[in-house]
Amino acid sequence: MENIVCNGCSLLCDDVSAEVDGKTVNTLGLCRLGHAHLETAVKQKAGSIEKNLEKAADILASANNPLLIGWTHATNEAIKEGFDLAATLNGQFVSGADLGPGQTMTHSIHNQSLDVDLEYVRNNGEFIIYWGSDPSESLHRHPSRFAVLPRGEKIPEGIESRTIGVVDVRQTETMKMANHRLILPAGSDAELLDVVISELEGKSAIKESVLGIPGSELIGFVSGLQKSDCTVIFYGSGVINSGNHEANLTKIEKLVEVLRGVGKEAYALPMFVPSNTMGVIKAKPKVNPLQKIASGEYDVALVVGGDVLLELPGKAAKSLAKAKLVYVGTPGGLTDKRAEVSFHCQDTIVAGTGTMTRVDMNDIQFKKWKASKDVDSISDVLSKLHEIIKKKA
Amino acid sequence: MFNYYGDKTVKLNPMELYNLLPKTNCRLCEPKTCMAFATKLALGDISPDECPPLLEPGFESNLEKIREMVAPMLSAEATGIKLDEEKCTGCNNCVVVCPVDVAAEPPTSEGKAAMSTDTVFRVENGVSKIINLEKCRRFPPDRLNCRVCEQYCCTDAIEIW
Repeated sequence: MENIVCNGCSLLCDDVSAEVDGKTVNTLGLCRLGHAHLETAVKQKAGSIEKNLEKAADILASANNPLLIGWTHATNEAIKEGFDLAATLNGQFVSGADLGPGQTMTHSIHNQSLDVDLEYVRNNGEFIIYWGSDPSESLHRHPSRFAVLPRGEKIPEGIESRTIGVVDVRQTETMKMANHRLILPAGSDAELLDVVISELEGKSAIKESVLGIPGSELIGFVSGLQKSDCTVIFYGSGVINSGNHEANLTKIEKLVEVLRGVGKEAYALPMFVPSNTMGVIKAKPKVNPLQKIASGEYDVALVVGGDVLLELPGKAAKSLAKAKLVYVGTPGGLTDKRAEVSFHCQDTIVAGTGTMTRVDMNDIQFKKWKASKDVDSISDVLSKLHEIIKKKA
Repeated sequence: MFNYYGDKTVKLNPMELYNLLPKTNCRLCEPKTCMAFATKLALGDISPDECPPLLEPGFESNLEKIREMVAPMLSAEATGIKLDEEKCTGCNNCVVVCPVDVAAEPPTSEGKAAMSTDTVFRVENGVSKIINLEKCRRFPPDRLNCRVCEQYCCTDAIEIW
C-alpha cells in the first residue's frame, strides 16, 4: 500500500493508501466515491499524444472565437497553462465553476474573510451548520475528517464537544448526527436567516412556528449560536442553486457579521463537490455568462479535464457540440467521443503529479506511486500545444 | 452484508429494572443507589444477587423477573453488530468515533483514516469493515453498552442489537 491523494471530490484526501495488483484495486481510507473513482481511473489507458498535436494546434490556431472549457478536474498547473493558451489564442476561458459556484464566489460574502482552513474548523469549530448541504451524499468524509467527529485543540471530546445543525428542505442522512434539524420550505432560506438574525439581535422574532419549524426548535438553534464561541456554516447547493443565491448569501454574510459583532468567531464556507472547483476560482475570480455558449458564439472549443457536453445545461451543450472540439483528459465520455481530436491522459489520482486546491483553498500536492506511468499529463499536452501554436502564430 | 452475532444479545432499559428493585437506597451494594445499581444491571456489570434487600422475603417475584431479564446479558460472550456494505459510503465516521480505534491508532481521533490492523473498524475498498470485532467495548471484559458507531452512522449501515 502506498500513500496517495484522492481527487474523487473537493476534499482531496491525502491520508489514504492504495495498491493496484493486476486488475484489482485495493484501498484504505478512501470512501466509496473515491474508491470507485480510482477503480475507473486505473482502467483508463493514456495514449500517445504526439501524432495529434499538429492537427489540434491547427484547429485551435484557425479558430475565429475559441472557447477553452472544463478545468474543474484539471490540476492547477494545467489551469495555468490554459490561461496562457487562452491569452495566445485570444480565446475565452470558461470552467464548470461558472455554472454556479463561480457566480457564488463573486458575491461579497467571499470578500469578507469568512473562509477558514478546515484544520482550523477541526480544532476550533463548536457549532457546525450544514445549510443546504448534505456531506453524507457528496463529500463523504467531510464530517469525519474535519467538521463533526474529529477531536481538536479546543474540541477534546470530538462530537461531544460540538453542536451540529442541519438546515435543509428535506430529511437528510447528515441530520442523523445533528442536534438541530431544521426542515424548511424550498426557497425560504433567506426568510429563515432573517428570523434567526432578528432573534440574535434581541428582537424576539420567533413565534410559535416559523416556516413550519416549531418555535422551540428554532429557539434552541439560536441558543446554540449564542453559546458557541466558533460557528462555521457550510453552505451547499441548496443555498447556491435555489435561484435565490444572492439573497441567501447576503443573509449568511449578515449572520456571520452579527455573531462576530458580539465577539464570537464565525465563518462561512462553500461545499463545492468537483475536485478542483476552488483551483479554477482561485485562478479566475471573474466569471463569464453561459449565454454565449448557448448562442453558439464559439466555433472551436478546447475541452480540458471534464465531460462538458454531459455537464452543461442542454441548450448550451447542444450548441457547443456543433463547434469543433479538441479534448484533453481521461478517456471516455460524450465530449471525448464527439471531439475531432482527443488526447487521453492519466487521471490525476493515478498520475500523482501536480496540485489541486481543496474546498478550503488549501493547495494539495499529488504524489507519484507505483500505478503512475511516465506519460504526458494534461498540463504537458497543453504546454506542447501552446508551443506549436505560438510557432504557427 | 456482514452479520456479527453474539451468543445472546439483549437491550435492557434501566428504568424497567429500577422499578423491580426495592428502591430503598440502602447503600449496601457497591453502586450505593438503586438507580446506579439498575444502570449497572442493564450493562451487565453487576448481578442481581449483589442487592441484599432483593434477596429478602417479599421480593421473590421481582428477583425472578430481573434474573430472567439480565440472564442473556450476563452470559453474553459477544455482541451483535450488523454492517450492511450496501448502505455504507465509507465515510469513516465509525472509525473516527470508535473509542477503541482512537486508542489503537490515535491519528483517527483527528479524523485520519485507519491504516493499522489494530482498530475495530477500517475502511477498505470504499466501505467500512469490522476487522477486530473482539476489541469492541461491548465484549468482555468491558461489556459496555457502547453504540457510538451505530449512533453516528448516517446511512444506518451499522446496526447493534
